Parts: sequence; C-alpha cells; structure tokens
Amino acid sequence: MFPSWNPSQPEISDLIVQYDAKSLARLSVSKAEILRVFEGFSNKKAVRVIEKIPTLDGLFDANAVDRLMLTVHWEMQRLAEEFYHGNRVLRILRATIDSLRVKGFSGPIRIVDVGCGIGYTIRWLAAYTNLPAEKIELTGVDLNATLVNEADRLARAESLPCSFFHGDAFSSDLAGQIYISTGVIHHFRGDDLAAFFRRHDSEGTQAFIHFDFQPWALAPFGSWFFHVIRMRTALARHDGVLSAARAHTAQTLVSAARAGVLNLVTGIYGAKIWNTPAPRVFHALVGFRPNLVKYVKAGLGGLLGELQ
Amino acid sequence: MTLLVLYLLASLDGALCGFRSSMGRYPYIHKIRFYAMAMLRGVLAAQIASCLSLFALFATVRASSDKALLRQDLEASAARMLLIFLPYAALVLLNLALRLVPSTDLRSGTSVVFLGPLTFLRPFVMIAGVLFGIWHAQLRATILLGLFVLVLMLSLEFALNIYNARIQERRIRLLV
Repeated sequence: MFPSWNPSQPEISDLIVQYDAKSLARLSVSKAEILRVFEGFSNKKAVRVIEKIPTLDGLFDANAVDRLMLTVHWEMQRLAEEFYHGNRVLRILRATIDSLRVKGFSGPIRIVDVGCGIGYTIRWLAAYTNLPAEKIELTGVDLNATLVNEADRLARAESLPCSFFHGDAFSSDLAGQIYISTGVIHHFRGDDLAAFFRRHDSEGTQAFIHFDFQPWALAPFGSWFFHVIRMRTALARHDGVLSAARAHTAQTLVSAARAGVLNLVTGIYGAKIWNTPAPRVFHALVGFRPNLVKYVKAGLGGLLGELQ
Repeated sequence: MTLLVLYLLASLDGALCGFRSSMGRYPYIHKIRFYAMAMLRGVLAAQIASCLSLFALFATVRASSDKALLRQDLEASAARMLLIFLPYAALVLLNLALRLVPSTDLRSGTSVVFLGPLTFLRPFVMIAGVLFGIWHAQLRATILLGLFVLVLMLSLEFALNIYNARIQERRIRLLV
C-alpha cells in the first residue's frame, strides 16, 4: 500500500482547519504539528502539500488556508456534477418525503445537509426541484465558517430558496426531520462514528441518507486515476484518494448505525448498478422510521437493500 | 478537404479544452452561459493555433522549390493523421451523445469509464496522430510543419488552464 493511501491517517483538510465544536471559534493550527502527523505515516505526498501552505509565526495563515479550501471545494463540486449527485439524492429524498406525506406528516419538513461544505446538494435541490413549494425547508450546516459563507453567498447570488448555517447540525435550533450528507461519514472513525449516529436518535428525526464512497478493491485505484485526470490541486488529489481508501464498509456503517439509532431501521441504498454485481462509486447508509419503510420501498424498489 | 477536416477537429478540440479547463472553477448551479463562453474561448484559441499553422503552411509553400510535391506530401500526411484523430473524435462525440440518455448511471458512467480516460489519452493521441502522419513524409518541411502544429495543439489546453486558473484565483481573492 502507498503511504498516502493508509486509511489509518486523517485527511489533510481535517487538520489544517480546526474549529472548537462548542464555541465554533476558529483555532490556530501549528504547521509543525500537522507535518509531524503525516511524517508519522511516512506520507511524503501529504508533507509536500502541507509545506506549501503559507504560515505566520509557525501557524497556518488562515486566509491562505481558506483560499485553498475554497479552491478545493469549487473543484469538488465538479465531481458532484459529473456524478449527477443532485439527481441521485433527489430520487431517494422524493421517496422519503412522499412516504412521510402518505403517513400524514403534513407540516414543514426540514432537510439538513450535515457538513454541507459549499452546499452543492442543497443548492441543486433548491434550483431544480419544487421542494420549497412543498413546505420542504432546504438547509445546510457546516462547522467551517468560510465554506458556509460561500454556500450562502452562492445561494443568494442565484436567489435559491435554501439556507446555510455555521454550527452543529443536530443542535436544537438547526435540527431537522431528514438528515443527508455526502462524503462526510468516513471522517468519523471508531467511537466517533457511533457517537455521530447517536446524535440522530431524537424524536424529530424521521430519516437519514448519508452518501459516501463505497469501498472495494479497485476503489482507491479508480479514485486515484479520476483525481489525476479531473482535479488540479494537490490537496484535492491527496484527500480524494485517501477518502476512497478510508471509506467504511457497508457492514461497519450499518452496525454503527443500528447500535446508535434505535428508533430507525437502517440499511444500504444504491450499492449496485442496475442490479448487476458492479458497485456504484457511492452508496448510501439510510435510516427510516419503521412506519415509513413500506412506502419508501415501494418508491425505490430494488435499489434499497435490506432494512432492519 | 483533408485540411478542412483537420481544422474542424482542431476547433472541436479547442471547444472541449475550453470546457474542461473551466470546469471546477465556477461554483454556481446555473452556468450554461459560463460554459458557453469557456467553449467559445477554446474555439477562439484553436483559431489562433489554426491561423499560425496556416501562416506556417503558406510560408513553407512559398519557400518550397517543388510546390506540387510539397502539397502532395502534406495532403498524404494529413490524411494519415485523420486515421488516428477521427476514431478518437468519434469516440468522444459518442460518449457526449450518450449523456443525452436520461439515466444517471449511464451519464456518470460515460465520465468515469470513457471521457476521463479519453481526456487522459488526448496528448498521447495527438502525438501518435502527428507522428503517424509524418512518419512516411518525403519532405523535411512536412515533418517540421507537423511538429509545429503538434506543439501548438498541445499548448492549447495548457494555455487555457493558465488563463482560467488566473481568473479563478482573482475570484477567490475577492472572497478571502
């Protein structure tokens, strides 16, 4: 295995920007400390990326880091566009919303995109669907203030009916009925993954749909090739490939979710292409209130795996 | 006729280079106009390359002592190049056409399985096409002209990338 593909290590973008989870204050990050993390994994590629980020008195220059993160997230949006991610999310969301309505949930439904980044999925849904007219509130939440501000700016520039918040997606003021995410859950490892799912376990939660890379033998190679061709920044290339290597298996996700969220039935959605053995790049861990399952299944057919 | 086909292929390549080099640099949702402008810029860049090539061609013909032989040699080389370029262009266009099919998996599949690798192969296809074209050329002028056009076309995406990167950097600096 290449050192930069070692799934035990964090991604560069996890470390160069840090926020206090409670106060949401931006924390200063020492370049030397982060370099040591990747030197510990003999990951020269990551070290080269980090060395190029400007510093002020040994700490990362926050503006330079923000510019880099924006560049990377603009670039990542291209992947979502090429994978038609908006359409994919819409399909399962549509079935989930319809099932909620059939079961008599007539009030507003808030969809929360957890770790929304620059909010592509939510902005796409706001731009191309009628969801806001159906009393569906489209929101995105992220701990990174720069990315949330950018999501908000982009939404305003195109007058899109959606909103973005800097904060904790599961906090009482930002919580919703349906949680979604893309490429977020592999960032949680071990106990943190179980803790992440426990946060879903509230009275208001009706469903969650968390898309992430689907791990299989060729995924890191495919991801590497795709990133070499499509991505320009070294950080995006590094973290993109590492993300594919760090992706949790369906089994890990499902057991963590089943242990953490007791009042929802969970399973995997969209793992295979057209009922063939060929895996999709992304699969989704999904959870629904038990009374919705019959209707969601009717809406999604074979795409939905076994739910428990 | 052969030169006209090569010119059209260069213009198509310019449009696609313009499109590719602008992708991932404009994070709005509605961007048809942005991509249209990017493709136009690519076509324009290809016109500049084509004009420079045409200028070089005229200069070569003018300087040649046997214009008929040069013309015959150039046409034969260009025809051989098309044997490589046309199937490649057809593959690209076929995959772009497949994106009209309303299937999310098929559309994204064209990106992952075909368009990505075809983009990767582009410089190699260009080199192979030109080398195959000039391999049996009888005149040194034909070989030099072929290599000149190759360098121009290979520089196209590189130059567009630099241009678009600068615009993107300026946009981001306005934000942070």
